[in-house]
Amino acid sequence: MRNYVLTTVFSAVVAVGMIGTAQAEINVVTWGGAYAVSQQKAYGDTWKGEKINWINYNGGLGEIRTQVESGAVTWDVVDVLPDQVRTGCDEGLFESLDRGMFVPAPDGTPMDEDTMNKVPNDCVAPNIFWSYLAFYEEGTFKGEQPSTIADFFDVEKFPGKRGIHTWPNALIEMALLADGVPIDRIYEVMRTDKGIDRAFAKLDQIKDHAVFWSAGSKPIELVKSGETSMALAYNGRVGAAVLNEGEKLVPIWDGQVVEEEWWVVMKGAPNAEAAKKFLVHATAPEQQAAQAKWINYGPMRKSALDLIKANEPWHNSGVNIMPYMPTREEVLPRSIFADPSWWADYGGEISERYTSWMSQ
Amino acid sequence: MRRRGWFSDRPRVLPSPLIENFLTMPASPAKPGGPLLTADGMPLKTSLERSLKLSKIRALGLIFPPLLFLVILFVIPIGSLLTRSVDDGLSNKVLPKTLAAFERWDKTSEPDESMFEAVYLDMQAADTLDLSKLGTRMNYEKSGWRSLVKITMRGLNRIDGPPYKPAMLQLNKRWGDIEFWQSLGAMKDPVTLGYYLKAVDLKYDGNKNIMRVKKHNRIYQMLWWRTFLVSIIVTVGCLILAYPVAHLLANLPLRLSNLLMICVLMPFWTSLLVRIVSWMVMLQQNGVVNDSLVSLGMLHDENRLSMMYNFTGTVIVMTQILLPFMILPIYSVMKTIPPSYMKAAQNLGATPALAFIKVYMPQTIPGVGAGCILVFIVAIGYYITPELVGGKDGRLIGNLIAHHMQNSLNWGLASAMGAILLIAILTLYWVYDKLVGVDNMKMG
Repeated sequence: MRNYVLTTVFSAVVAVGMIGTAQAEINVVTWGGAYAVSQQKAYGDTWKGEKINWINYNGGLGEIRTQVESGAVTWDVVDVLPDQVRTGCDEGLFESLDRGMFVPAPDGTPMDEDTMNKVPNDCVAPNIFWSYLAFYEEGTFKGEQPSTIADFFDVEKFPGKRGIHTWPNALIEMALLADGVPIDRIYEVMRTDKGIDRAFAKLDQIKDHAVFWSAGSKPIELVKSGETSMALAYNGRVGAAVLNEGEKLVPIWDGQVVEEEWWVVMKGAPNAEAAKKFLVHATAPEQQAAQAKWINYGPMRKSALDLIKANEPWHNSGVNIMPYMPTREEVLPRSIFADPSWWADYGGEISERYTSWMSQ
Repeated sequence: MRRRGWFSDRPRVLPSPLIENFLTMPASPAKPGGPLLTADGMPLKTSLERSLKLSKIRALGLIFPPLLFLVILFVIPIGSLLTRSVDDGLSNKVLPKTLAAFERWDKTSEPDESMFEAVYLDMQAADTLDLSKLGTRMNYEKSGWRSLVKITMRGLNRIDGPPYKPAMLQLNKRWGDIEFWQSLGAMKDPVTLGYYLKAVDLKYDGNKNIMRVKKHNRIYQMLWWRTFLVSIIVTVGCLILAYPVAHLLANLPLRLSNLLMICVLMPFWTSLLVRIVSWMVMLQQNGVVNDSLVSLGMLHDENRLSMMYNFTGTVIVMTQILLPFMILPIYSVMKTIPPSYMKAAQNLGATPALAFIKVYMPQTIPGVGAGCILVFIVAIGYYITPELVGGKDGRLIGNLIAHHMQNSLNWGLASAMGAILLIAILTLYWVYDKLVGVDNMKMG
């Protein structure tokens, strides 16, 4: 009996001790798959501090808000989408970060000026750019090959079905660009009802040929199996299929929609100090560049992109990675940088309209 | 004062006839005619009450953990869900002057200086976090509020003193747009039915009259209808498939029926995702079914059936996944029906078919009822399958609830939809109780 009590007490002490040490670990929450692996290699393996627990999630602010509102925060660092970083910061779900602590570029430019886009608030630390991109498989079309986003919407010239996603982001922008709106006027047009009508009229042209996907791996399958002749996908998925698996997929960079991905620290994170130090490490130019060894997402910092350019071949397979980068100079003039503040304002209304359009 | 609580409120359960007899029994009175006493001289009634009270406390102690569990897991969340679905207190807290000025306004003329002043003063006094949150909330009523609030927050310090109207119009010209002002009407009360209206494609206008939302944006009515339809089809489909299987299970010799039971339960033990993905492999355009039909020449290559990523896909996959919920209750009821009833009916001259319909089937009603209720309730809130195979027109109301919980963070709307779902299910249960009787139901 005495022994039993002793064992119980002992294990309780050990358990409490383990909780104590667990607090010295950093819980980093991010998306799964090849993307998470690239982060683990580039940021995690080079980090000398506390142990990092990599946790997968499916995006969204639901879980984050639940943790913060209930006061039981277990996550430290989270990888979040552009509109969510804004809403979340507005709602007070993230810590505001001291801008001075981050590593400047080699030429001394402070981090916030080294990013390729405007920093929206003090909650964020730069991460990567990714994009929505049209693509097809080599040999699908005889003769002329599709090369612009207008070709994606032209089912007569390039027959076959089109794989598109079940939410409106990027599709509205692409539709307008394909319909002839100049790139720098797209969001201006989208602020008017007429502009939205115009986008949906363009979408109508592919509606009967559309196959809708919601999981990121799907569009690659759709195109490879021949179910669709072209599809939109995350550029990283297309890149991975080409670089790692040797698939013959051809990206159409014209009219890609580039999206941001940010790091944040949870409000009330159990290990906030270590989390901030980790972000300082992860956002330094060398680490930002190192990620591109494993996946073709564009580092947010210009100095990191320069680093990659200067040291090609950069990808771990020994291939030049720049031709697959969504943020390389050659493709920028025909790329749309998504405007998260437009989406934060109108996203709800457009989602409704898109859902209704999709199911009619 | 008497303590109001568990014990005092309740009628004294006590005197069962036996105890009553005992109380009035003329045994060992202390004094003739006086109250009955126990051995230690305490009145018997008090002593009995005390011991009963003790046992009641003990009983309460026993049910306390499940009670706590119930409160924590059901009462509190459902309470919070219902509160969230009507709560609109933030706008009153942050913009009291603005809403007062809104009340004085005729809702059609151009907003005057006093209204701008009210907004300026409210925003000046507001907590930044509250104001940002309110911006998100206001954006539900009129797209664009969110950035308007943000821009104004940032520019507030640049405004020095009245007149405020030109200064704010200069910050952003949308302040001159009367539609933004009118949309305040929907937010003026601290308790709102706005989220419930939104959940059925209605909304408040500036005067709190209920009207339909723009034609393009009507989705919820359609989704409710679709959810209901899918649930019905899935329930009926499950019933048709499950009834013969359950009958076989109940009537085959033990060895065979055990084998069949394993076949029924096997999918139950398989990961949901695995089952969904195998259906994708089977049903997609270039999937097994289409390929076989084409190679058999029953289908032209151009006209492959689309059975995946649409309504059909959702129905097929959900039916398969929910089938065990129908088979098991029906089976458990069929198992208890003595085969002699059927024989008796046939002895009395009924054909096998007639005996089955008149004698056997009515006895399976409790299992059929339980199965249908179970499948329907699970189906109506289903979420993961429609998300994965729903594609363009197979997504259900559960997916929209998840969307508003996860992405748009419009928890008020998500709660309202959840509450409607809850009410729908309770109504259904009530109807079932009236028609068949819940006591009659046999879950397994």
